[in-house]
Amino acid sequence: MMDALNAIAGLLVRDLRGFFRSRSQLYSSVFFPLMLLAILGAGVQDGLDPRNIDDYVTFLTPGMIVMTALFSSTFSSATYYQDRDSGVLRVLFAAPHSQRVVLLGKTLGSVVIGIAQALVVLGVAAAIPAIKFRWQYGVAQSVVLTVVAVVLLNLFLSGLGQLLASRIRSMQGFHLVMNLVLFPFLFFSGAFFPLDHLPIWLKLLGRINPLSYGVDLMQVALYARNSDGYFGVPLDLAVLGVLAVGVFYLGTSRSVSLER
Amino acid sequence: MSTATTILTSSAPTGETAAAVEIRDLVYAYGERRALDGLSLSVPAGAIFGLLGPNGSGKSTLLSMLIGRRKPDGGEVRVLGEALAPKLRARMGIVFQEPSLDPGMTVRETMHLQGRMFGLSRAATGERTSALLERVGLDDRAASMTATLSGGMKRRLELARALLTEPTLLLLDEPTLALDLDSRQNLWQHLLEANAHGTTLLLATNDVHEAERYCHTVTLLDQGRVVAHGTPAELKRGLRDDAVRIDWNGDPAVDAASIASWPGVGTVRVAGQTSHVTVDAASPFLTRLFQEAGGHITGVQIEHSTLEDVYFQLVGKAITRDGAPPEEPA
Repeated sequence: MMDALNAIAGLLVRDLRGFFRSRSQLYSSVFFPLMLLAILGAGVQDGLDPRNIDDYVTFLTPGMIVMTALFSSTFSSATYYQDRDSGVLRVLFAAPHSQRVVLLGKTLGSVVIGIAQALVVLGVAAAIPAIKFRWQYGVAQSVVLTVVAVVLLNLFLSGLGQLLASRIRSMQGFHLVMNLVLFPFLFFSGAFFPLDHLPIWLKLLGRINPLSYGVDLMQVALYARNSDGYFGVPLDLAVLGVLAVGVFYLGTSRSVSLER
Repeated sequence: MSTATTILTSSAPTGETAAAVEIRDLVYAYGERRALDGLSLSVPAGAIFGLLGPNGSGKSTLLSMLIGRRKPDGGEVRVLGEALAPKLRARMGIVFQEPSLDPGMTVRETMHLQGRMFGLSRAATGERTSALLERVGLDDRAASMTATLSGGMKRRLELARALLTEPTLLLLDEPTLALDLDSRQNLWQHLLEANAHGTTLLLATNDVHEAERYCHTVTLLDQGRVVAHGTPAELKRGLRDDAVRIDWNGDPAVDAASIASWPGVGTVRVAGQTSHVTVDAASPFLTRLFQEAGGHITGVQIEHSTLEDVYFQLVGKAITRDGAPPEEPA
């Protein structure tokens, strides 16, 4: 058990070190959502003057945090291909551990990186005067709720990334599928516009969309005033919890091919 | 303890030794194609044991099975006296045929990750890393990214990484592939040192010279089956002394059947514009050859017969033939 934990820690440290050495990944992962927040937030707020949302920039922030988690999980899952192609995965699997331990170490790296990135975006957003978080449950409780949402989302997305990476042979194919599946999910998750004013078919899609529950939970914590959100906090936590544990488990269980 | 400059030669283990690897009737198939077809062999502890055969003969498949990447379709495998299990890999090391270094890690980080993966303490990893890097001549590159190392240095690092855990059994999947002569010899010095310290080496190769020079015992493989087994000297017993390679200026001017009928000729194989003939003595053979077809010859090369000739005699094809079906590396 201790040996397995040691191996997982070793893999985690390796992935974190690789992330911090990759300056472009480090900076773009934080600046891109903030840039989008500034451009899209200000553009829609002032240019379109939405009637249903009183502070669009603040409304948009939870969505940008979800997007950060999405990008970082996708990017980190893609390191699976780098490790496979460099032959490192072969070496890792030759260690005296089950495949699950190795995949757990790798996936945990992407989870931790995703959480750190999302929290940096949250911290920077909180410091921007134009963004006025409402902290309806109090700052401490709201931050805890946001962190829980970020952790569950990253577990789910990293597990999903690993699950897809173990089935799709090329990195190009992996990115294509991730973009094709997850971008539409992001658009009707409530990240860019509230779900309650949408046509019924979009509401239905929003309801079966896992990202919607993460966005909802964060909006409850950061944006909402006297509201328990679109789905309600218990349902948000239940759906995200089940998906996070289930998909993460599946992602680290699947037998991995080393063939390119 | 030996140093890197000590010249070592390969000497077979003495006395009764237990088997490091024991394989009985092993079967593995890629779809319809059997990569291992009832393979049985026994690798003595402390030996340098060669698996010699062309691409697709089952060597790499066997190694990948020993490290648990593939499950046998049939048969029995015991390594270091135990059935295959992940924990057994703590006593094994492997150098893969293909590069296996993370270009984004330094030499020292590469060693430390291996230490953590194998449950070594930080202190033991640090101590062994320093000693091994010095032994393979990479101590001054410990802080370098692996991407900046030469091909030979990368191979030595991969070997040092495999030796970090002081394995009882070291698997080598064509470890000197694509290395220049100096790097090959250098690598083999380190391998011989490891063997002198008790590590069993199981080498998968299609390099006949390497197998002949370094291995105590060689098993010749063809299509997942054992063709012959013994020391290089035993395998070559009864073989003609010399091997003559003839380069023709077109198709061979004398056909294989005719040459085979000449006195003192053993096997004849033809590949394009080249004929390879084993003979009792090269001189009388060459005299007759030049008499009959001297004008069509562009080059002649004489060498002692090798395991390649043994293989051809037994299987009817060359080990280093072109167009062999590729085998996935271990």
